Amino acid sequence: MKLFVSEGNPHCLKVLAALEETGVKCDVQYVSHEERVVPFISRPVLPALLPPTGPHLFSSNAICSYLFEVGGKDCSDLCNQWLEWETTELQPTLLQALHMAVVLEKGSEVSKVLQGPLNYLDQSLSKQNTAYLTGETLSVADIVMWAALYPILSGSSTILGERNSVKAWFERGAKLQSIQSAAQKVLQGKGLQGMKTFLQRQPNPQSKEIQTCTS
Amino acid sequence: MFCPISAVPNMAPRELSALEKFLGLKKPHKYSTQGVKKVPVLQINSGPPLVGLGTIACHLVKEAKRPDLLGDSAESRAVVQQWIEHRVTKLDRCRKDDVKTFLKDLDHYLQDMVYLAGNHFTLADILIYYGIHPFMVDMAIHEKEQFVNVTRWFDHVQHYPGVQHHLPLVTVLRNRIYTSRHH
Repeated sequence: MKLFVSEGNPHCLKVLAALEETGVKCDVQYVSHEERVVPFISRPVLPALLPPTGPHLFSSNAICSYLFEVGGKDCSDLCNQWLEWETTELQPTLLQALHMAVVLEKGSEVSKVLQGPLNYLDQSLSKQNTAYLTGETLSVADIVMWAALYPILSGSSTILGERNSVKAWFERGAKLQSIQSAAQKVLQGKGLQGMKTFLQRQPNPQSKEIQTCTS
Repeated sequence: MFCPISAVPNMAPRELSALEKFLGLKKPHKYSTQGVKKVPVLQINSGPPLVGLGTIACHLVKEAKRPDLLGDSAESRAVVQQWIEHRVTKLDRCRKDDVKTFLKDLDHYLQDMVYLAGNHFTLADILIYYGIHPFMVDMAIHEKEQFVNVTRWFDHVQHYPGVQHHLPLVTVLRNRIYTSRHH
């Protein structure tokens, strides 16, 4: 089994954290952002996993779920729901926030951009009143969400504001060896700046929003 | 203007109702939607509501006791989840140019596959079929010819018992793609 990752790519942080958390055995190869690892996708897409059987996996969340399943932990309905929310709701906003902070150097705007998803996360966690997103034990949803939010939240104590439920939950993840070591590998100790090259290659998330038809 | 953006997510409750019928679930569920993107919501008796097309679809499959539709190994389960995610993240917010790229990649992928998860029909086939149907309906035959593997797969799926249901049948160029079957 082989995992392909690149430095500075925030999606790679998720899979490296999941790999360490589950202890699944797998070769890890670092490649450049431009490397086309997945033969059937016309643009470079990372991370990618080549499992023992079957085609390449090119979605970071599917890779994380797979590693957790191989490690003996299945994903419940609620777990699926958090993963779907992460890709459809959190990621587009997060990418915009990262672009704002790193490429446009307007870090002060980040809180405003992220307030919708963070409020939702806070309300859900305080209503559920559980230590983790899907209950009292850690699931792949926690690892995915911590890894996604770690770069932007660990560098600034003010973004979370008074959202105490998210704060308590996030601190649980930020302490984990798996998250910290994955962050070190991907960001190389440079914080958000470690993602600059990657983010500069992404289409401007805001201009995409404008072009998308909404009628 | 060609604008599938708003049309596609609005179809979610209809898709889920069609999926229920395919699965043979006796009691139809009622769906609501939330937010500007009209994300489907299912209120279930036993707990908080379920939100999201992929999440609800997987739940229905489990309710119908058809775990085979979610994949028969850890690898194929991951492949199924991946294509469902691809459907809700890429296809549902595609512009027309992006759809071509989506279909091109899918075509390449299906080159040596019968179904998305290999030889077994799964929920991923159903949801991608629902998702690309609006585009396939609008496509001229010569446009579909560019995606010969997608077309073959699409035709398989639309003829799979109980799948097509609420959607019109899309004509594919049979004599070119099915030569071996006719002679």
